[in-house]
Amino acid sequence: MKPNPLARFLSPHQFLTLQRWERIGSLLLNILVYTLLVLYLLPMVFMAASALMENRQFSDPNAPIYPARQVTFEYEGKARLVYNVPLESGVRQLALVKPGRTSSQFIDPANPAAGLITWQGYWRQLKGDYQFHLSWESFSLLFRTLRLVNLVKNSLLMALITEVGVLVSSIVVAYGFARFPLPGGDFLFYVLIATILIPDKVTLIPSYFMYTQVLHWLGTWYPLLLPFFFGSAVYIFLLRQNFRSIPRDLDEAAMLDGAGPLRILVSVILPQSWPVVITVSLLHFFYIWNETRQAALYLGIRPDLAPVSFGIQNFQSVSPIQNSLQASALVIMIVPVLVLLLSQRFFMQNMIITGTER
Amino acid sequence: MLNIFRRKGRTKRQQIDRLLGLLLISPWLIGLVLFKLAPILASLAISFTNFYMLNPQETRFIGLSNYLQVFEDQSVGYILFQTLAMAMGALPLQMTASLALAALLSSPRLKGRGLLRTLFFLPSIIPSVAILFIWQGFVQPGTGWLEKLIIQPMGLEGFNNMYSQAATNLLFGLNSLWSIGPGFLIILAALQGLPPEIQEAARVDGAGPLERFFAITLPLISPAIFFGIVINLITVFGGVILLDRGNVFSGSASPYDGYVSQVMFRQYELGYASALAWVFFVIVMGIILLLFSTSRRWVYYPDKGGQA
Repeated sequence: MKPNPLARFLSPHQFLTLQRWERIGSLLLNILVYTLLVLYLLPMVFMAASALMENRQFSDPNAPIYPARQVTFEYEGKARLVYNVPLESGVRQLALVKPGRTSSQFIDPANPAAGLITWQGYWRQLKGDYQFHLSWESFSLLFRTLRLVNLVKNSLLMALITEVGVLVSSIVVAYGFARFPLPGGDFLFYVLIATILIPDKVTLIPSYFMYTQVLHWLGTWYPLLLPFFFGSAVYIFLLRQNFRSIPRDLDEAAMLDGAGPLRILVSVILPQSWPVVITVSLLHFFYIWNETRQAALYLGIRPDLAPVSFGIQNFQSVSPIQNSLQASALVIMIVPVLVLLLSQRFFMQNMIITGTER
Repeated sequence: MLNIFRRKGRTKRQQIDRLLGLLLISPWLIGLVLFKLAPILASLAISFTNFYMLNPQETRFIGLSNYLQVFEDQSVGYILFQTLAMAMGALPLQMTASLALAALLSSPRLKGRGLLRTLFFLPSIIPSVAILFIWQGFVQPGTGWLEKLIIQPMGLEGFNNMYSQAATNLLFGLNSLWSIGPGFLIILAALQGLPPEIQEAARVDGAGPLERFFAITLPLISPAIFFGIVINLITVFGGVILLDRGNVFSGSASPYDGYVSQVMFRQYELGYASALAWVFFVIVMGIILLLFSTSRRWVYYPDKGGQA
């Protein structure tokens, strides 16, 4: 029987050892994941690129996809745009001097002394000669027209205040739901879920009436901040799910040692729940950072108290046409979030390791 | 004699535990009454009236007519069908994507995992105006990236209508895949919280990677998967939990939600809008309760011996 020529490669002891298989597998996995990442983020790259484009580029179908500017050449005291002109001798980059419907006149930037070159055809069908160029103008315009520093300060302050309130209250309540028998059994838990599910719109008008007419909180931060000090239903749910997945044995051991319920929460439950606590605090930050509805309702009359999301959204709705100013505003919204996410990565990883060691 | 004492002791202990539990959840209970119950009851009351925002003096009790109108309204059935179809399309897509992504990213063979996690989560927190902006930039006839990067090089015929079905599906897909962040993050956190000893033990016993994933990892992270399903479901129905993308009141991804907004902010029929919202709430709540009742069969909690 003839030996299979592939056998030498397929045999794990010959060419492809187990180690090599593992290495090839790792390589393929890395390639796969990074390709996915590029595809997944491609639209965001588009947005970042748009922020650095000049507005002209959005309407030119022949413009490149990266931020660029059409090359110009100064001739007879005026800046002339350079086009790719197909001549008999090949495509040449020529500056347009006299546009015309059937024939146009060009000048060669490399050799202006040679005089005008005439080309037969409609000049609008020519492709412009673009060169990579970053335009930061829209960012400086944004900083000048929006009071960006004040808006960001408002957002950060709101996030900080509610973060403390929502974390403490949600953790305590979730502990109650996860570990204690409650009157009515699961009934209160179902009420908790129901409050997550009740659409905003159902409660919108009555809440607005209560905050503005009864409590007179229009134009203040109270309607946006106070509810968080009573726990957030969805975070309570998330924390409860996590607390419940921690075995009770440790609680009981601590209880036998004489630990009270709060002591158990702090020394037994929380040390095992850092990943979820950090996840919740980050999610809450993003919530506050992007929130616009409540801000629109209660802070519409006080732009100096508004968060950055509301300020930028207001700014967006002024001009519906695609332009680099919109893209720049969106980039400004995303950059702090990206910075925060990147800076906590190390932090969160450490937490997980200590969490599993215990 | 001794038995009676013991039982008495136990009930007392349970009594204390109940009281403690009530005390611990009291912040939420107080908030519920102050900030939720009052507005909810008021909106329920409004749904039985003909409250018209431009003429509030004429408001009076009209019984169930708003609810009867919901069933007679010809657009409601179609919009409801559309909303449910969207959920059926988005949910499997989102759950498969977030589970697969989390599984890939939990592999220790991957370089730069922390950075990858961050970058895969990033699109989920960008504001909804940005998604619209990006989508327009993508499908714009002539100048869009889709045309320049894919259609022109491959010599295909481009979009000539930005609002065509294909372009709208693209927006829907983009929006669905770009909101998996919270579910993905929660599943990944659960995967990384798993003790590695269990995996090692299974490996020693001869279980392959796929078998380990389906037989060991998946059941252990089932609470996270369950939560992921619930939040994705609520988000696809137009609710806001976890992540606020800064949608405005008038625009929403969910057709039903959009219809309620239209009745509320364009027609100012608050009574009818409240009834519409309550009907939808009952439907969504029914679906969620169904999900919870099945969860007893497949969500694993160690403190109940894995059977609960």
